[in-house]
Amino acid sequence: MVRDAGALRRPPPIGPRGLVFAGIAAAGVWSFVLLDVPAERLLPGSGLLPELRDLRVLGDFLSRAVSPALDYESSFVPDSAPPLLMKVLDGAHRTVAYAAMAMTLSLLLAFPLGFVASSAWWRGDPARVTTATRFVPPLLFGGVRALIAFMRSIHELLWAIVFLAAMGYSTFAAILAIVIPYAGTLAKVFSEILDEAPRDTALALQATGASRTQVFVFGLLPRALPDMAAYAFYRFECAIRSAAILGFFGLETLGKFISSSFDEGYYGEVWTYIYALFALVLVMEWWSGALRRKVTA
Amino acid sequence: MTGHGSSDGLHVADVSVVYAGLPALDSVSLGIAPGEAVAFVGPSGAGKTTLLRVLNATVRPTSGCVTYRGEHLGELSANDLRAVRGRIGFVHQSLGLVPNLRVIQNVMAGRLGRQGLLQSLRAFVRPKPAEIEHAYEILERVGIPEKLYERTDRLSGGQQQRVAIARALYQDPEMLLADEPVSSVDPARARDTVKLLTEISSEQGLTLCMSLHNLDLARDYFPRLVGLRNGKIAFDAPVGEVDPDEFQRLYDLEQGEMLADGA
Amino acid sequence: MNDRVRCIADLHMQRPRSRALWWSMGALGLLGIYSWTWGLATGDLSFGDTFSARRLQNLERFLGEIRPYPLHGVEWDTGIALDWARTLMSEHGYEAMVTTLAISVVAICMAGLVGAMLALPAARTLARADAYLPTAKPATRGVRFAWAALVTVTRGLMVFLRAIPEYVWAFLLVTMLGVTAWPAVLALAIHNAGIMGRLQSEVIENVPPTTPATLRGLGATRSQVALFALMPETLNRFLLFFFSRWETCVREATILGLLGMASLGAVISESRAGQRLDEMMFFVLVGSLLVVVGDALSILARRLVREAG
Repeated sequence: MVRDAGALRRPPPIGPRGLVFAGIAAAGVWSFVLLDVPAERLLPGSGLLPELRDLRVLGDFLSRAVSPALDYESSFVPDSAPPLLMKVLDGAHRTVAYAAMAMTLSLLLAFPLGFVASSAWWRGDPARVTTATRFVPPLLFGGVRALIAFMRSIHELLWAIVFLAAMGYSTFAAILAIVIPYAGTLAKVFSEILDEAPRDTALALQATGASRTQVFVFGLLPRALPDMAAYAFYRFECAIRSAAILGFFGLETLGKFISSSFDEGYYGEVWTYIYALFALVLVMEWWSGALRRKVTA
Repeated sequence: MTGHGSSDGLHVADVSVVYAGLPALDSVSLGIAPGEAVAFVGPSGAGKTTLLRVLNATVRPTSGCVTYRGEHLGELSANDLRAVRGRIGFVHQSLGLVPNLRVIQNVMAGRLGRQGLLQSLRAFVRPKPAEIEHAYEILERVGIPEKLYERTDRLSGGQQQRVAIARALYQDPEMLLADEPVSSVDPARARDTVKLLTEISSEQGLTLCMSLHNLDLARDYFPRLVGLRNGKIAFDAPVGEVDPDEFQRLYDLEQGEMLADGA
Repeated sequence: MNDRVRCIADLHMQRPRSRALWWSMGALGLLGIYSWTWGLATGDLSFGDTFSARRLQNLERFLGEIRPYPLHGVEWDTGIALDWARTLMSEHGYEAMVTTLAISVVAICMAGLVGAMLALPAARTLARADAYLPTAKPATRGVRFAWAALVTVTRGLMVFLRAIPEYVWAFLLVTMLGVTAWPAVLALAIHNAGIMGRLQSEVIENVPPTTPATLRGLGATRSQVALFALMPETLNRFLLFFFSRWETCVREATILGLLGMASLGAVISESRAGQRLDEMMFFVLVGSLLVVVGDALSILARRLVREAG
């Protein structure tokens, strides 16, 4: 086909979005090649643990999804053991309770950290500049931001492992392992929410003679609080998941029950616990979703 | 009104303000007597807002000095500065209300400058009946008493402006500053707002300074006009002595300069 | 005077209130108080035990042992420490870092594809009998029910996928599939497909209906509408979610290695098993560096997407 070259001005071959896509594709292909795992290794019977990896095990496990256990599968259950469903309830209760404990501590830490890490907190009074207001805030601000970044950058499981190695297992250490990264994340998001709140109120309150704390408490905080509450709720949902996972490292939650039942091959029990965890997350998600809709409406 | 001494009122002496190398005010001097009503007129960017901010000490002059009742604003401690600001009500162009609080809470924020943190928290969470009644009276005066407990963002633009005025009045100020209070409402409402502010000021003996775009409104309600252009005072005279041409020139010159800039 | 007081009281009675927020906050506060009371009362949380003499001794030993091995009992020498770090990095570190990144990339690509697919039947605006335009004759109850069932089932599936943490999925899969990178990839992909699907379906539901309705008016099918109207309009939001989820994938890919798969976590748990605590701490810090790098890359990519409009 012959075309008048000038009639159709071609767009540039690739725009910024195209670049992003090309980047994703390249990274995807590169990663896939790099992992160097032939797809046939996914087939049962060809891997490192052939005895466990035959189709029957997978089939067994998946088939129990529709028939979770309502009673212990083991025939050696001590008489003193509570009925399975009571154990499920206990596990769910502990999961929520540990998550709530971790969340309370995280919030207590995240409020002050988040305030100090928000640039809104440090915006001083333009009519009063002294040496102290010029140098102390940037130092504190930068220090707290770095601290928050460090707290966040280590996953709760890694904190748990470090505590485990340092002091041995204790429930409080497990909770602390959740608290550190959660406080960091909450503080970061809180500071962002505070910084996004419009500045006009702060200026107006400053003009009434309000002190810096008052400007923050009455001008910025009320605006930011609904968003902060919604986010804290979402993090509580995450904390429930984290508490469950810490069960694999000894915390007495649903995760611990899942791991021990799975190791024994009691797949029905595993599904029961999984469904319990599912129910917990579902309730939290519904609750926080409803709240977020209320807040943003 | 009590005796007028030389230490009374507000005096601006040779004040300049420079923002990031650009002059916003250029050696401005003027005096405002207690109870006076003054309109600052001029095109946008002339320095009206900066001048108002200098008057309530939220902008620090780069040079020159401002005295309020004999006190040098630049030399005040943080607490004294708060006290001075607490005596001056300021109605901002962008209002600066907290949208998701009730009207009463926004109004009561006017007292922050006179309260400590704990005291203000108490008033915020559990206002005393007398405080509520006072807020209600002020809302009555600005014409929206029925909105006392309404959420502020549910109000119309004009009503929100009245909330901002009510907050300034709740400060129990000696002086009222208003920055373009009519720029965001329709002409009929603009006239109402200016009328309301001038009436309240004369009823309560408040000094009133207002920046205005609209010359007609300024002439109808203010005995004294201060014309600003490029950060300088172009004229400062009783309303009867301001020549309409002189006012027009504020804008003409600006246009000429803009053409020159654009060329 | 009394009039005014009565007026105020009336207004106070009629004031609009948002109970949901306060009830929720109250419930959460009570839960917090309850959980601490329970924890302290049942003795699960004995501070005495947490900070007992034995444990403090452990801590002291730990602090001694995380000093790089060649520097035990010797003065601090940055040169030696750097050599030690370099050796560790070239032995396991680089490989583990790259593998961690690769796992996260493959996982998020799979999650993105699956999530984008799941989002379509989960969007109530698209998955209905009269999508964007009324049909010629009203749909029968059966047809409407079938569409509603499709939406509910898809949503239920997505909730389930994302409700179960990646770590649990990986734990289950590693037994079935063996210790390769795949359990980690699949676990991340499954969990994030649920999340991406939910986010994307909400975005699709919020697309203004004019363009899709116009296409429907031209006789386009649902899949054509999805391909030519919904996908292009939601692409940017999708990419933003894609990168922010990738950020978490990097975090999680690191720790899934604790189950034995080739990421940084595996190196960490090996060092711990061998009681080489100095190595363990070193790799934990490498992991945190990786997370910081991942965050920075993701922020950069999201900025690029936003600027592309």
